[in-house]
Amino acid sequence: MNFLESIGHSSVEKVEYVGGLTIQFWRGLIASWRINPFTGSKLRWKMTLQQMAVIGVGALPVVCLIAGATGLIMALQGGAELRKFGAMEVVVNLVGTSMTRELGPLMAAIVVIGRSGSSISAEIGTMVVTEEIDALRTMALDPIEFVLVPKYVAMMTMMPCLTIVAVASGILAGGVFTYYSLDMTMSVYLQRTAEILLMRDIVSSMVKAVGFGTIIVHVGCFEGFNVTGGPEGVGRSTTNAVVKSIFLVVLADLVFTAFFYFFWQ
Amino acid sequence: MSSTPDIRPDRATDSGVFPHLRGNEPIISVRDLIVSYGDRKILKGTNLDIFSGETMVILGASGSGKSTLLRHIEGLAKPTSGSIFIKGVDICSASRKELMKIQRVLGVSFQSAAMFNSMTVGDNVALPLREHTKLAEPTIKLITKMKLQQVGLSGVEDLFPNQLSGGMKKRASVARALAMDPEILLFDEPSAGLDPIIAAGIDDLILLLKRAFKMTIVIVTHEMQSAYLIADRMCMLYQGEILAVGTVDEIRSHQHPRIRQFVDRVADNFDEGAQSYVTGFDS
Repeated sequence: MNFLESIGHSSVEKVEYVGGLTIQFWRGLIASWRINPFTGSKLRWKMTLQQMAVIGVGALPVVCLIAGATGLIMALQGGAELRKFGAMEVVVNLVGTSMTRELGPLMAAIVVIGRSGSSISAEIGTMVVTEEIDALRTMALDPIEFVLVPKYVAMMTMMPCLTIVAVASGILAGGVFTYYSLDMTMSVYLQRTAEILLMRDIVSSMVKAVGFGTIIVHVGCFEGFNVTGGPEGVGRSTTNAVVKSIFLVVLADLVFTAFFYFFWQ
Repeated sequence: MSSTPDIRPDRATDSGVFPHLRGNEPIISVRDLIVSYGDRKILKGTNLDIFSGETMVILGASGSGKSTLLRHIEGLAKPTSGSIFIKGVDICSASRKELMKIQRVLGVSFQSAAMFNSMTVGDNVALPLREHTKLAEPTIKLITKMKLQQVGLSGVEDLFPNQLSGGMKKRASVARALAMDPEILLFDEPSAGLDPIIAAGIDDLILLLKRAFKMTIVIVTHEMQSAYLIADRMCMLYQGEILAVGTVDEIRSHQHPRIRQFVDRVADNFDEGAQSYVTGFDS
């Protein structure tokens, strides 16, 4: 295979991958409607609640810890520079806006990729290898509706919640810094944070959370559904799910940030 | 050679069919099925008719295409060309909705049992009932218990699949396949990986189902002893082509060298004796 052929082959593979993900996304979206709480299947709701506990509740301590540490690091790094200009109070703005707009959603997404993205891919991949997905199809059950949708709905519910927790943890950790370095009480710190935050920041944070959640669940499921080659294939798909999710989440973050920068000043 | 029964693949529709099935419309009809993966042809224009109420065993060596044929009958894969009619519906060109409707008349027992490990055995068996019927939960529980009893598994409803032995798992997967009272039961290597006693138990179970429910049963296997016991008719696949379709006696007495080699369990390529065994028929 010459150089041009390999570029062409790789491009076709990428287009196929994105095409496959897009088809899966629409099928998932349509099937999500069928599990609404009012007329949908009770069995799916039970599975969705279980997934909410796994994806959301299970990730809470790690999200708090990582986002808190990030908030404190931001405050320490920002404080060290801002002290030179006598503008230590600006740390409040720095931590508040950066956690809400950027680091809260991103840290929550990275934790969820590590915990749930990989496990979604491994779980579905194992189901493929052990013929469980085939068994579902021969029972006239759609694997997208049965396997993907409960995870998708759970992710769509829990990802914004985890993002709120991540933002809050980061901001509170920044408050610990200002309490000790600026003698600023927590209530004053929180009041000033609330003053500097705009609706745009909160909306962008939630949009990112939903977008990142969609990417994580679909990449994890897509990698899982396309496992080939037994247990080795499951391991490969898990690695792919994590690497591709991180790449796509960062790419999506750039797109969302640029969008809000240009269209919602 | 003159004693060989006339059971050419192109006569598969009539040959060896029991008198009560002769003239019936086939419940499964495979027509000119070609399956290729890249340049590799797995099935090369397969034709096969399976009649209502008969037990058809599909035989063949590893890589002969028998599991591929079964996967296509199950509607799990689309062929390169050709058709598979199940109850008159071509599942190869059917819409997803039509395919799902046809799949409801199929019960499938997989080689690996394919039980959902996150659910109890009872929930596994009850799954199709909960998904496709509006039966009340107590009724579903009763049916589940009954289906498990039918396959000789009582009191395992609350156990998880990983708490069962290989044979019990296979039986539980048959119970799940029976849950919706299917018209057609498909088995992929039912006795693979089981010791002879458990494998004999699975054979007995299939015989019991055959006698009790008069179902159409299709079994893919390379276990000859089991096939002789269970089959009404057998179909021999070799390198993606059907060599013969016929009754157990017809296949046993068939003179095609590959069928003789398979029936007499003679190794291929490993020594000159085996080579001459096969080539001897060609000369």
